[in-house]
Amino acid sequence: MNEYILALVLGVMFGFALNKAGLTRYSTIAGQFRLTDMAVLKFIMTALVVTMIGVYPLRLLGVITFPTVPSTYIVGNLVGGLIFGVGMSLAGFCPGTMTAGAGEGKLDYLVPGMLGFLTGAALFGLTYDKVFPPISKLLNYGSVVIPDLWNINALLAVFVMALITLVLFYLIDRMGWQRQQKKLD
Amino acid sequence: MSWLTKQIQKELWSPYGAGVLLGLVGIFTVVFANRLLGASGGFENIAGALGKAVAPDLFNNTYFNFVMPAGLSYAVLLLIGIFFGGTLGALSSRTLKVRTMDDGQWKQAYGPQLWKRWLLLFVGGIIVQYAAGIAGGCTSGLLISGGMLLAPAAFLFMAGTFASGICTAKIIYGKRY
Repeated sequence: MNEYILALVLGVMFGFALNKAGLTRYSTIAGQFRLTDMAVLKFIMTALVVTMIGVYPLRLLGVITFPTVPSTYIVGNLVGGLIFGVGMSLAGFCPGTMTAGAGEGKLDYLVPGMLGFLTGAALFGLTYDKVFPPISKLLNYGSVVIPDLWNINALLAVFVMALITLVLFYLIDRMGWQRQQKKLD
Repeated sequence: MSWLTKQIQKELWSPYGAGVLLGLVGIFTVVFANRLLGASGGFENIAGALGKAVAPDLFNNTYFNFVMPAGLSYAVLLLIGIFFGGTLGALSSRTLKVRTMDDGQWKQAYGPQLWKRWLLLFVGGIIVQYAAGIAGGCTSGLLISGGMLLAPAAFLFMAGTFASGICTAKIIYGKRY
C-alpha cells in the first residue's frame, strides 16, 4: 500500500517535470528530431547526470542497493529503439509525455493517444511468446551497469559521463550545434 | 518565496532546471522505493486487465499472467501520478484547458484536419508501445531509468531512437527539414 502511495507521488513529480520542460508538446519533440530545439536532450541528460551523481556514491557506501536494472540485449534494445523513434517522431509523444499531456487537458492525447498505447500494449502481450524470447536471446548481457560490465571505477564512470554531458551542452549552446528552424508554411 | 512562486507559475522552465527536478525524482525513486520510473509498463498492466474483461481466453497467456500481470500495479499508480503531474503543472501556470489541435507546428507539418491528427496519434501510439515492448522499456523506463544507473541498454535505445527519429522527421518535413 505504501509503495502505491509513493508511486503516485513520484509519478506526480515526474509528470510535473515533463510539463514544465515542455515535453508534452508536439513542437518540442519534433524540434528535437529536426535538431532545431534541443530541450529533450538537455532535459534527459541533465536528469541522468544528477541521478547518477546522487545514487552511485550511496551505492559505494553500501547505503543502498540498485533495483533491477533494465536488461541489455543489444539487438533488441537497438531494434526496439529504431522502431520507437519512428512512432515518436511521427506522433510527437512517448508513453510518459502522452500521459502528462492528457492530464493537461489535451483530448488528442487522452482519446486516440491512449487508445493507441493500449492497443499496442495488447498486441505486444499477445505476440510476446513469438517475438520477445528470440530477440532478447541475442547478445544478452542481462541486468548490468557499465562500471560492473567493463570493470571500471564507478565514480570515474560517473565523472566521465558528467564531463561528456557538459561538453555536449557547450557544443549545443555555444558552438551552434542547434540548427536554425526553417520557415514552415 | 516570491521568487519560488514566480518560478512555479512559469509555463516553461529551462530544460536544465526541469532536468534537475527529474534527476532528484530519479534519486528518490531509487532510494525510497528501490524501484525505477516507467510509463509503458503501466499500459501493459491496464491493457491486460481490459483484455481479460473482454476476451478472457485470449488474454489468459504467460505475458498477462506472469510477465506483466494484468491489473493494478506500481507501474499503473506511477502512470496515474504522471497524468495528475501534468494536471498540476498546467494548473500552476493556469494553462489547464480541455482542448484539441493545440499545436501550431503540427498544423504546419500535417495540416489542420483533426481526423488526421487522431489517426496519426493512434497509429503512433501503437508503434511506440509495441517498440517499447521489444526494447524492454520506453523513454522513461529504459532511457531515463536505465541511463541514470548507467545501463548500456539505455544508450543503445537512445541511439536507435534518435537515428530513426531524425530520419522520420526528414521524411515528414522534406525540403522544410
